[in-house]
Amino acid sequence: MTPALTLRERSEAEAARLPPLLARAEQLAGTVLLGDHGRRRAGLGDDFWQYRPAQLGDSKRMIDHRRSARGDQQFVREREWQIAQSVMFWIDQGASMQFASDKDIPTKIDRARLLGLSTAILLARAGERVGLTGTTLPPRRGNAQVIRLAEAWSVDHQTDYAPPEHKALIPHARAVFISDFLGDLTEVETALTKAADRGIRGVIMQVLDPSEEAFPFQGRTVFESVGGTLRHETLKAGDLRTRYLDRLAERRDHLQRICNATGWMFGRHDTGHSAQTALVWLYQALERGAR
Amino acid sequence: MNLLSGIAFTTPWLLLGLVLLPILWFILRAVPPTPTLRRFPAVSLLLGLKDDESISDRTPWWLLALRLLALAAVIIGLAGPVLNPSRDQAGSGPLVVVLDASWAGATHWPTSTRQLDAELTKAGRMGRTVAVLQLTDPQPLVFQSAEAWRSRLPGLTPMPWAPSPDQVQTALADMQTIPDSFDTLWFSDSLSFEWQSDLLSAFETRGTVKVFESGQPVIGIKPATFEDSAMQISAHRSAAASDQNITILAQGRDPAGTQRTLASVDLSFSATETDAQTALSLPTELRARITHFEIQGQASAGATALTDDSLRRREIALIAGRENREGLELLSPLHYLTKVVTPSADIIEGSLLEVLPANPDVIALADVTNLTALETAETIAWVENGGLLLRFAGPRTANSDLGRKTEDPLLPVRLRGGGRSVGGAMSWGEPKSLAPFPDTSPFYGLTIPDDVRVTTQVLAQPDPNLADRVIASLSDGTPLVTRKSLGLGQVVLFHITSDAESSTLPLSGLFVEMMERLTVSSGTKSTPASVEGTVWSPTQVMDGFGTLMNADTLPGIDGPELLSGRIGPNLRPGLYGNEKRVLARNVMTTDTILEQARWPATIQVQRPSAQQEQPLGGALLSLSLILLCLDVIASLLLSGRLRNARVVAPVIALLLFTPHLKAQDASDFALEAAHELVLAHVLTGDQTVDEIALAGLRGLSDTLYFRTSIEPAAPIGVDIERDELAFFPLLYWPVTPSQPAPSEAANAKLNAYLRSGGMILFDTQDAHYARFGGTSPNGQKLRQLAAPLNIPPLEPVPKDHVLTRTFYLLQDFPGRHISPDVWVEAAPADVEQIEGMPFRNLNDGVTPVVIGGNDWAGAWAVARNGTDMLPVGRGYAGERQRELAHRFGVNLIMHVLTGNYKSDQVHVPALLDRLGQ
Repeated sequence: MTPALTLRERSEAEAARLPPLLARAEQLAGTVLLGDHGRRRAGLGDDFWQYRPAQLGDSKRMIDHRRSARGDQQFVREREWQIAQSVMFWIDQGASMQFASDKDIPTKIDRARLLGLSTAILLARAGERVGLTGTTLPPRRGNAQVIRLAEAWSVDHQTDYAPPEHKALIPHARAVFISDFLGDLTEVETALTKAADRGIRGVIMQVLDPSEEAFPFQGRTVFESVGGTLRHETLKAGDLRTRYLDRLAERRDHLQRICNATGWMFGRHDTGHSAQTALVWLYQALERGAR
Repeated sequence: MNLLSGIAFTTPWLLLGLVLLPILWFILRAVPPTPTLRRFPAVSLLLGLKDDESISDRTPWWLLALRLLALAAVIIGLAGPVLNPSRDQAGSGPLVVVLDASWAGATHWPTSTRQLDAELTKAGRMGRTVAVLQLTDPQPLVFQSAEAWRSRLPGLTPMPWAPSPDQVQTALADMQTIPDSFDTLWFSDSLSFEWQSDLLSAFETRGTVKVFESGQPVIGIKPATFEDSAMQISAHRSAAASDQNITILAQGRDPAGTQRTLASVDLSFSATETDAQTALSLPTELRARITHFEIQGQASAGATALTDDSLRRREIALIAGRENREGLELLSPLHYLTKVVTPSADIIEGSLLEVLPANPDVIALADVTNLTALETAETIAWVENGGLLLRFAGPRTANSDLGRKTEDPLLPVRLRGGGRSVGGAMSWGEPKSLAPFPDTSPFYGLTIPDDVRVTTQVLAQPDPNLADRVIASLSDGTPLVTRKSLGLGQVVLFHITSDAESSTLPLSGLFVEMMERLTVSSGTKSTPASVEGTVWSPTQVMDGFGTLMNADTLPGIDGPELLSGRIGPNLRPGLYGNEKRVLARNVMTTDTILEQARWPATIQVQRPSAQQEQPLGGALLSLSLILLCLDVIASLLLSGRLRNARVVAPVIALLLFTPHLKAQDASDFALEAAHELVLAHVLTGDQTVDEIALAGLRGLSDTLYFRTSIEPAAPIGVDIERDELAFFPLLYWPVTPSQPAPSEAANAKLNAYLRSGGMILFDTQDAHYARFGGTSPNGQKLRQLAAPLNIPPLEPVPKDHVLTRTFYLLQDFPGRHISPDVWVEAAPADVEQIEGMPFRNLNDGVTPVVIGGNDWAGAWAVARNGTDMLPVGRGYAGERQRELAHRFGVNLIMHVLTGNYKSDQVHVPALLDRLGQ
């Protein structure tokens, strides 16, 4: 089979996967849009700002005739100059995210993408520019960008614990990092410090599976990461529970400390719970950070 | 060691394997259970965590014990443990197996046959030759290999009699011809019989004797008698061992003719008694149905008591022509007759028309002449159904015109008017006595008392058939009793009165016996005198197990011999018939005594005990299997893989309910065919044709689904031999020359289907080269198929047929071929023409068959992907033809499903016109 054919086949498969994600994200975003915020932010540049006398250099087309007809002077209707925010997303595409302890629970990566895309839709509707960290997809405005985001997030990676992408961060933009943050924390620290240096503030959200929160294992067990790179064997898994939970709490403390130091916000989400609460939190956290 | 002494091993050295168990214990303890492999992204948090060394996770002790137990069970099971091993010494030399083989052993026959089989096997192993001697049927001793005898075991059956002295003598004589010594195995039935001890000592002189017997008392049931308005049932046993309760079942035919248990009664022997008795009271109707009594759980001829006439109480209607209620009772014409029948029969009184519906067994008319036409007709009908009409002559008969000119149907002979008197004051001669009964008479054998005299009598006209009908005559040859059969019944005329006026016969015992012979009175015990001179032919005889068999080939038995003879090969227990009388001869008579066999102390007697040799290996091996299954579950549980109940539950359910999986098969077809409307075609056996037919119906179903409110499910093929047809509104039947003609049963099913509103569409698929009714192979096959079916007269579809307008308006009915020859049920010749439309009323106006050859299925057929399977015509015209074929299909199904609704719709203008609208 020629490469072009396989590419087409793959992209068709990807395209088949895309609509549901988009649709679900739109649906999720819709539930938030109906809330008490969002409407307040009228369309970009539609708001009336002021009338000012026409000056030299204004084109005749800019003259507001309704106002000018009241008197002899000619006025130009000025609209509010609104600058859109850029919001950059990084969603961990590593193999460790492709995990769900039960078939009724979505995988972590599925939930992370859903949350990211829903937030992106909300932001795009609000006129913000959304994109990815790094150079692959710089922030842009419009619905087409949402589709591009969905495309970018439909590719699985095979490596465990992908580090946060922190290249080409736009200064004074905002950022959303969604991951399970089970990998090396120094990378996260580096990324966040670098972002803070550039005046970027944002949100990090840790998405974990219920089994990772509870560690309900017993007996002799070999634990293996999804990518297969890490293994740990134990004779009595039940005995490890408290120590595991201690380590998890410690890791969260560490993340919180990094956030406190850099002015980011830290959120947690359990894939066993509903995605909507997490979306509301994410959106409000972004709004709050904007003020 | 008592427990162990009952157990032996066939291969004891295998038990050495038990030594391995402790070693295995250590090995198993050292190896921890296999780890579970889990995907877990948070493993990065676990890295570096050490297990607590002090707790090493080993296999728990109970799991180890389980496994060791399973292994021990395997080892012991393979070593072949046997409970209660038999420790017999096998002998050598020839062996004679003696079987009593009487009815007494029938109940234990399977057990003793098994035992005999085991003994023969043993003898075969030792290479001994064997002869089998059946005492109830002695044959010369033949020594053969044990294997030969084993193959003949199923042919040995117990006989319904006990060994008679003759048979024992024969056996002894046979034995004398054998010079060698031999050992004897005697399978006794636990009953003693004459010459038993002689036989035993004869065997003992030849070698060792070993006796097998059940040791349990033999129970027999005696013939039931009828006393004190209840049936007296008594049973007798051979030994008074202990308290014993048995249940007697009264078996008989229910009104549907099925043999079933009509009543049951418990009977208990007290510890010291060998006899027990009880009474069973049943309604007359029920009592008459009883064919035999049997002891529950005992299948032997002795435990079965056949019943005969003695239990039946006949119903007799007595009607006198001269009702003399005010007169003296002794002068009543019915007095003596009543006295004769009262002990054994129920008397019905009333007028003739009143008693006939009660269907009595006998109607006695004493000097009745004035029967109305209705009474005559009903009485004739009753006699022809098996009734016995017993008439007595008298003055009225003598003076009436009854049977003068022509023979009255209710009289055996023509009568002469006036009668005659002999030996009176005004007449010549002496009163007449009776002539001896001829041997063709039912009275043959009865002794005639000297003092019976006849003074008055009604004479018969000399007719050609008179001689045949006389069954008793006077000494001068004039008839006394005449008889003729009428249908199933008979008419008997006594040419004298029923009272003592004209003769002394009613005063004598002969009259009672004559009544009994005529089955007017029954239920009195048959005595040798009463059956003297009669020959009884066996109708059904019993085998040793008490089962009744037809006995048409057996010779008849003399009456006295039947009553008192010894049961044997020449007199088998069973039912014997003479004329209308039925007599049962049972194995047990009222005075039969059963005696337990007694064996000298020197004889080894083996009785079956609870301690049968019983191999335990299988049980132990299955125990180990169960333990291993438990081990699997326990191991899974320990390793944490059993946590997910959703995985385990189906597995356990599967294990528990596997047999249920195949239970549903039978009703599947009905379910599939009946849950929705389903079109069906007949399976022809030609795979291509069947496929096309199925695809065609699929295409038609789709068309109906898209265009009409008929929404059929997927069509199916039916096997008319096997499947129920009632579910289908239409059967499409492609006719191929190769298909087999349906069986009779299938034809009956098809006819029932057509009668109940089904439609068959016959398609010969040959319209492109053959005309309808031609001699194409398909046409010939169609004729063959349709010949046994109830197909009404046919006509080509008329222009106004409702089929042309049930959904689409159609002119013709093409399939893949266009032929106008499509035939449907013809309209009756005299139907009313309304607007040119004849009404058709058969089957709700739906024609039961449509016959054509246009290969409709071919035109309808679609493949599974929805494309047409076969080409129709050329180009657009072909597609138009296919469309018309689909329309025909729609019209056809509409026609079938709507019945006369659509044809009524056609007639709506006419109906409205009739209503005056």
